[in-house]
Amino acid sequence: MNPAAWLLLPGLVLLPVLLLLPLALHGGGWSLIGGFLAAAVQPSLDPALLAASGRGLAVTLAVALWSWLLSLVLGLAAGLLSAPLVVAELCGQRWPALVLRRLLALPRSLHELLWGLLLLQGLGLQAGVAILAIALPYGALVARVVSDQVEALDPGPLRALRTAGSPAWAALLQALGPPLLPGVLSYGGYRLECALRSATLLGVFGLGGIGADLRLSLQSLQFREAWTSLWLLGLAMLLLETLVALLRRRWLLPGASVGRRGRELLLAGAVLAVLLLPAGHLLGLDGRCLLGPWSWPAPTDLWTNAGWRQPWPALVGSTVGLTLLATALAVAAGPWLVLLLRPWPRLLLPLQALGLLARLLPPPLTALLLLFICRPGVLPAALALAFHNAGVLGRLLLEQLAAQDPRPEQALRSAGAGPRRALLQAAFPAVARTYLAYGAYRGDVILRETVVVGLVGAGGLGVVLLEALSSFAWGDVVPVLLVYAGLTLAGESLADGCRRRLLLAREVG
Amino acid sequence: MPSPALVAALALALAGVSQPVVAAMPRFRVPLAQLNPGPAATAPVLRISAIPDQNPEKLNRLYGLVADELSESLGRKVVYVPMVDYSAAVTAFRKGDLDLVWFGGLTGVQARLQTPGARVLAQRDVDAAFHTLFIGNREATAGLQPIRSAADLKQLRGRRFTFGSESSTSGRLMPQYFLQQGGVKLTDFAGGGPGFSGSHDATIALVQSGAYEAGAVNEQVWTSGLRKGTVDRSKVVVLWRTPPYPDYHWVAQGNLDRRFGAGFTGRLQAALVALKPTSQRRVQILDLFGARQFVVAPADQYGQIEAIGRQLGKIR
Repeated sequence: MNPAAWLLLPGLVLLPVLLLLPLALHGGGWSLIGGFLAAAVQPSLDPALLAASGRGLAVTLAVALWSWLLSLVLGLAAGLLSAPLVVAELCGQRWPALVLRRLLALPRSLHELLWGLLLLQGLGLQAGVAILAIALPYGALVARVVSDQVEALDPGPLRALRTAGSPAWAALLQALGPPLLPGVLSYGGYRLECALRSATLLGVFGLGGIGADLRLSLQSLQFREAWTSLWLLGLAMLLLETLVALLRRRWLLPGASVGRRGRELLLAGAVLAVLLLPAGHLLGLDGRCLLGPWSWPAPTDLWTNAGWRQPWPALVGSTVGLTLLATALAVAAGPWLVLLLRPWPRLLLPLQALGLLARLLPPPLTALLLLFICRPGVLPAALALAFHNAGVLGRLLLEQLAAQDPRPEQALRSAGAGPRRALLQAAFPAVARTYLAYGAYRGDVILRETVVVGLVGAGGLGVVLLEALSSFAWGDVVPVLLVYAGLTLAGESLADGCRRRLLLAREVG
Repeated sequence: MPSPALVAALALALAGVSQPVVAAMPRFRVPLAQLNPGPAATAPVLRISAIPDQNPEKLNRLYGLVADELSESLGRKVVYVPMVDYSAAVTAFRKGDLDLVWFGGLTGVQARLQTPGARVLAQRDVDAAFHTLFIGNREATAGLQPIRSAADLKQLRGRRFTFGSESSTSGRLMPQYFLQQGGVKLTDFAGGGPGFSGSHDATIALVQSGAYEAGAVNEQVWTSGLRKGTVDRSKVVVLWRTPPYPDYHWVAQGNLDRRFGAGFTGRLQAALVALKPTSQRRVQILDLFGARQFVVAPADQYGQIEAIGRQLGKIR
């Protein structure tokens, strides 16, 4: 089968969704949607609000920066230690890596928001809470990607170096460093964008942040105030994404000379180090706070029976269903839209603007907007998750397409193929594997995000979890967390199996 | 090749975002170091906060004014710490990171139960007898019989129904209690459960639009919506006004006398109760609170809220 078909296949879920959508629409709130859109061109310019928003943006950027850096450090270390190839070199056994890899599913299975609420219990009002809340799950995610990449490397050079008598550490660095660097650089830049989105959704305990302002403004229907935050945030995100794309193109181009790239990397590192100081000062960071005293609430009822008596099959079923539906929609949206709009390249710009808005709006807020015109249930929840994640995946797709060698497509065009046919036969097959791999990782993220949209009537584990957290019922929290971890592990095993088959297929083919 | 210059320019731009803004906004800047004063800290700072039940612009304005007012009448430095979440406010109070918090009925009780020594200081004149309104989409609820008591709420079975925030007293706890009195279980609603709109304003908008057929909303927010013209009476109607119950209140840490000097808690309470519309700032504060004045609140008044909270599992 043409790999491009795999890109378009998830679009099959669009059929039932398009059939069900008209039934779910109630249309009673089009005036609210109109008000929201109209407010885009007249955001509030009240000086006090602007100043507070500017400060909120600075706080959010500072949290994103610190949590991103911490997650990269944690993720690289944990990723290498959970790669069997590396661990086998260091201690002669493969199993510690496999165990660690499974254990890393635990921090990853929890949404940043829940990490935040749990860490707040132990640490109190600290900017460090927001940073750790993002860095821990992100670190585990980075670790998974790094260890996947190590696994996909050719072990030949490493074996050669070892046979030649080079010590384990030096051989690992020399054999794995250069081939891993492009992937780590490219993925690392992408993580910074993710960190900004998470910092936006999370808000910062005790400091607010622009995301918290955005959420409260939208919930109280102050659309003009909400757009002040959205424009500022959008500008920051656009700037960041453009810079990351620029650096990625510059550093990862096949012709990029190694010496120059090294110098620029050092310079970028120095700039980051300089930025970290004011950012840390703004947040009032104090590393000592992590040392304690940690004071947890009295664990009176951590293991109650009641917490375990939940309708698990129904809860898990609706959570998994929502995840699959949202993931399929998010994966399908990009390729289908690009295919449909191919004959009119000018329409790409409005599409990119829509994508930026999708990445900007946290899913719970999109869900609220959707409820103005759509009845509560799984559908608005899935659409909200899909919209946000399609924005993320769509950008990756466009970037990949832009990085392709244009000649095969041009050749097809000059041979008389239409623009869509050329895309399907040349560019899509080339990007299909990587894009779908991103999609699989995204499924992991969407599973976590189901927590934050459960409240629009989609039900599932998220509702139980938020209810337990707001009742401070730790006995109810623990079982749900374990079930989430189990689901993440199951999803990971599934994805691992698929990837192994893909790798095998590539070797055979 | 512009790269190094470009990187440097971006660094300047990013640094520029944070520095001048911070310098320009001394009142909003809350150094977190002050939130957790070490043993060497000198003059203690009174950290006030509130559950985020309003739009942030109003929260910043209101509690900025309250901080200024208290700072003037107590001769102490007072800072407002914004909170992003109801339960985060409860936890921060339990950890001792906040000194005086404007809680709702339920969150206030949760906070006091988790924080030994914490005290109820004051409430607004309207809080001793607060009300929730059950509202309905006019078209969707046209066929309902008039609701005269909790028992008549039975008619809401099988309807799409939404609460406000999960931890809200007027938007969730008390309406759930009255629904239970009327024999309605949460699983009786269409879709297998109620929605949680996140805020009172959102509840009104969602019922008005028809996303939900009915919902429960804080009476004060409804009234102010009517005044501002954001409520369309042709689309959304009041179905029932609940019996009264106590709601919002100021809760203070029990160790303020030790940290700020003997008699400080009493002076703080007196300062709150003494807020009368005698200056422009005080008029503004009372206006934003939607109250004529604050009154001393007896803690046992909230025994009813605690009992209901335990019954419904919101307090363990």
